[in-house]
Amino acid sequence: MNRMTATPPAEASVSPAAPAIALNDLTMRFGAGTETPVLAVDRVSFSLAPGEFVSLVGPSGCGKTTILNLLTGLLHEEHEGDVRVLGKKPRSGNPDIAYMLARDSLLPWRTALGNAAFGMEVRGVARPERQARALELLKQVGLGDFADKYPKALSHGMRQRCALARTFALDSTVLLMDEPFGALDAQTKLTLEDVLMDLWSAHRKTVVFVTHDLAEAIALSDRVIVMSARPGRMIADVPVDLPRPRSVRKLQTDHRFHDLYAQLWGLLEQGVTNDE
Amino acid sequence: MSKTVRLTLGHVVFIAAFIGLWEFLSARGILDPTFFGRPSGIVMYLWNGFIVERNLWTDLFYTILAATIAFWGGSLAAILVGLLFAMLPRVHRACEPYLTLFNSMPRIALAPLFLLWFGLGIGSKIALAVSLTFFIVLSSTVAGIKGVNSDHLVLSRALGAKPGQVFFKVTLPSAVPIIFSGLRLGLVYALLGVVGAELIAAEHGLGQVLAYLQSTFDMDGVMALLFLLALLGLSITIAMNYLERKLLVWQ
Repeated sequence: MNRMTATPPAEASVSPAAPAIALNDLTMRFGAGTETPVLAVDRVSFSLAPGEFVSLVGPSGCGKTTILNLLTGLLHEEHEGDVRVLGKKPRSGNPDIAYMLARDSLLPWRTALGNAAFGMEVRGVARPERQARALELLKQVGLGDFADKYPKALSHGMRQRCALARTFALDSTVLLMDEPFGALDAQTKLTLEDVLMDLWSAHRKTVVFVTHDLAEAIALSDRVIVMSARPGRMIADVPVDLPRPRSVRKLQTDHRFHDLYAQLWGLLEQGVTNDE
Repeated sequence: MSKTVRLTLGHVVFIAAFIGLWEFLSARGILDPTFFGRPSGIVMYLWNGFIVERNLWTDLFYTILAATIAFWGGSLAAILVGLLFAMLPRVHRACEPYLTLFNSMPRIALAPLFLLWFGLGIGSKIALAVSLTFFIVLSSTVAGIKGVNSDHLVLSRALGAKPGQVFFKVTLPSAVPIIFSGLRLGLVYALLGVVGAELIAAEHGLGQVLAYLQSTFDMDGVMALLFLLALLGLSITIAMNYLERKLLVWQ
């Protein structure tokens, strides 16, 4: 494995003894117990310090979503190795975790405000408090004037902003994001990435961000973990030393950004071709 | 002139021309009033029935009453059973073949049976109407609950929603539009069931009047009754459309 010396990011000044997320030799097989179990994830180990933003990048089927689902506790597939979220075994409905998907999954019968408050409602936050916080978050993602609009009246980008508001309104310590901008057009994506950066700077969560978009991973993350095609192995764990706060739009013309991109692209290519 | 005004005017002109032509052809003996009735006779019949003799009010009342009872009873039962099926999928699977069997039989054939069981009063037509409405609303309830977006379920589970929360905050609201379209159809079929039963035999009701008029060759009356039933169906549809717009603003 091509591990580079990972200097902890300047922002995350927490003792490395208490990682927010820790995977130790995680190995997963699908169809365990059948005649032909498929090795999906092969001995993956990494950890995140509290407040760290780490992306998992790799080709389709490299197990990045599987790892994320395991962390959410949604997946009950047997696995070897140890997985810890804030020191505990993952379980679904853990209030320390907020989860965001590629599709906005807004409830069409709720207004933007109702959707932004939905997560808090499920978790039992009192009505006045959740309404106030949902509205605050909608303002932060630039949807303050659209609080009473139904999702059908919102564009794709606005809907995903609303999903961001719902996710951050939960105030969970750990955010797990599965290609949250994967369904957006290139321009909207850049805008939303900047919205995410602003939110993250303001709220300082630990984020695991799954994407197949290398540029997105570099622009957002403190570290990028590159995975190979199935079976998913870690090829590299690369620190991104671009200064913060970052503007994803401005980075598009930054030469260090492009150097990192070229470097990581090489690793990614290697991971894709290794398998063939 | 706005588009709607022009459109309305167009319809008025068309209907007036249609009725005028009908009246004209009947008067000249080209269209036989024994088989087609004539507009002036139809109006006279309705005038007599509603204003002079007032006998049609009772029949209209019985038809509407029976359809309303059948609609509410059948729909409520269907929604409750649908929810029960959602909670107990094994019961649903066990019942499914019988439901399919019953649902695929032409329900009007049950009318003679219901007449024997419940008599000529309001009971037999309600039974027939319920046998139609119930299955329509049941299948839409089941379809609505099954059609819940799996993303919404994943999200709810990830948030830690309890089964009750998932059901009342996600599954049920997402099923409402489909249940509603079932209710709309169910109401139309409730009317169909009631009138169908009345045609065969009943004490009161528009269907019974219609059957009587047909047997006495009163074509003006038959046409008047058909017009009345069409109007009744139309008002149901308009009312349901209005309700849907009010209840489902988010669609």
